[in-house]
Amino acid sequence: MLKEKLRRVFAAGWKNFRRNRYVSIGTTGVMSLVLLLFLCLVGVNFLGSVLVQNLEGKVDVRLYLKNEATDDEVKTIRTELEALNSVKYVDFVSREQALAEFKERHANDALIQQSLSELPDNPLQAWLNIKATDATQYASIVGFLEASRMRSVIDKINYYDNEAVIGRIQGISHAVQNWGMIGTLLLAFISVLVAFNTVRLTIYNQKQEIEIQRLVGASNWYIRAPYMIEGVLYGGFATAIALVLFFGGLQFASPKVAVLMPGVSLMGYFAGNVVQIIGMTLFAGIALGVVSSLVAIRRFLNV
Amino acid sequence: MIELNNVSTVYDDDFVALHGVSLAINPGEFVSIVGPAGAGKSTLLRLLTRELRPTEGVVTVDGVDLSHIPDDDVPLLRRKIGTVFQDFKLLSNRNAFENVGYAMEVAGATEDEIAEDVPKALDIVGLGDKRNNFPHQLSGGEKQRLAIARALIHRPRIILADEPTGNLDMVNSHDVIQLLLKINALGTTVLLVTHNRDIVNTVNRRVVTMETGRIVRDQTQHGKYII
Repeated sequence: MLKEKLRRVFAAGWKNFRRNRYVSIGTTGVMSLVLLLFLCLVGVNFLGSVLVQNLEGKVDVRLYLKNEATDDEVKTIRTELEALNSVKYVDFVSREQALAEFKERHANDALIQQSLSELPDNPLQAWLNIKATDATQYASIVGFLEASRMRSVIDKINYYDNEAVIGRIQGISHAVQNWGMIGTLLLAFISVLVAFNTVRLTIYNQKQEIEIQRLVGASNWYIRAPYMIEGVLYGGFATAIALVLFFGGLQFASPKVAVLMPGVSLMGYFAGNVVQIIGMTLFAGIALGVVSSLVAIRRFLNV
Repeated sequence: MIELNNVSTVYDDDFVALHGVSLAINPGEFVSIVGPAGAGKSTLLRLLTRELRPTEGVVTVDGVDLSHIPDDDVPLLRRKIGTVFQDFKLLSNRNAFENVGYAMEVAGATEDEIAEDVPKALDIVGLGDKRNNFPHQLSGGEKQRLAIARALIHRPRIILADEPTGNLDMVNSHDVIQLLLKINALGTTVLLVTHNRDIVNTVNRRVVTMETGRIVRDQTQHGKYII
């Protein structure tokens, strides 16, 4: 009996969907746009996080060491720094490496090469490159170094030169993250409202049908269930349409984004997470359809 | 079988639709309820399908106080009472067969039972050849006959007909009333709410006249339309 009831509920949901063709197409269309917007928001958030990562990746602090610093002293500073939780990693560049890199970088500049060869000694200093786990940690790391017993072997910390730039990058990162989050939530909220009201209007059109079903003795669940199935169908079809449009658009947008942000592949990101993306969109679509249907129908079911 | 005992109904806007109405209807009776608009006729029928609860008084069907039926059991009550309305109240996206079959479905009938009973009901009301037609493909009279077939399908002991001829021409009205009389002859209690003087006079059965929420006249036999 339960099997028969379920079959009837599914058949009724599908029949409603099919026979109210224009309304179904309209509702599915609006929900597709909502899901498309949702997918675009995922894409924009991804680009935002890449932007933040790139910006933060450019920030580091360089510690120039005095020429008389011994290997042991360098090792001590390095070990102490690496012991800090706020430090991600520390790279050491010796004077010789610094010179080699400098020469390589200016290999095509004859004047610089000639000047270097005329100098009696290596003019460059050894340095430690410090990468923090978070850009906000640089001030405390520098504070730690200033108070360190090894301060005497440190010639210069470039944080002071870059402090303003680091602060600005932090500001941009935070703005991208915060505004991205606020924008996403706002748009998600608006789109949920649009989808919800579209389904609500669709069901409102069926108000009389629901009244009739009640009058011939249908239980509330027997009335409600086909509308839930209709909600699932709206969500399911809308997901399919949104995904096709989105991945189609991605083919076009991904190369353009790669030009603006070298090394970033939107298509790669979405293709790499395709199962999660489809699952998430399908879940959002179906949940939106079913919950909207349930809420919308509730007010017509008062006996 | 149907009993209203000192029933009053006041709507949310303080409109008093029924005012201390008492009425007893025996099994198998054909009762015409007449009266001007706003007399409380439809309210009386809505009490019997538990669309409304009385503000005061008791409404019983087969000895069961309808106010005490839990909400979840209201569908069971409605499956025992057939209803026919002026505006037909047919499911627009279901064809004739499905409209009648739906009433059986909700009561838990099997596909075989539906396949057997629905064509019979459609034949009784003369729509055997229109089983695949949707409501918009039927005339007013056919729609009302379909609504009667749906009301009949449970073999209910009571049929409530609220202005069933209100949207029909004379010929179709006559057909519908003959159908209701036939159903009544088989033992079903029929409550007919109507404005149509000719119909009431032709039926020539019990006539209850209502005015401003009160019963002002109850002609138990050979009743005539008198307002």
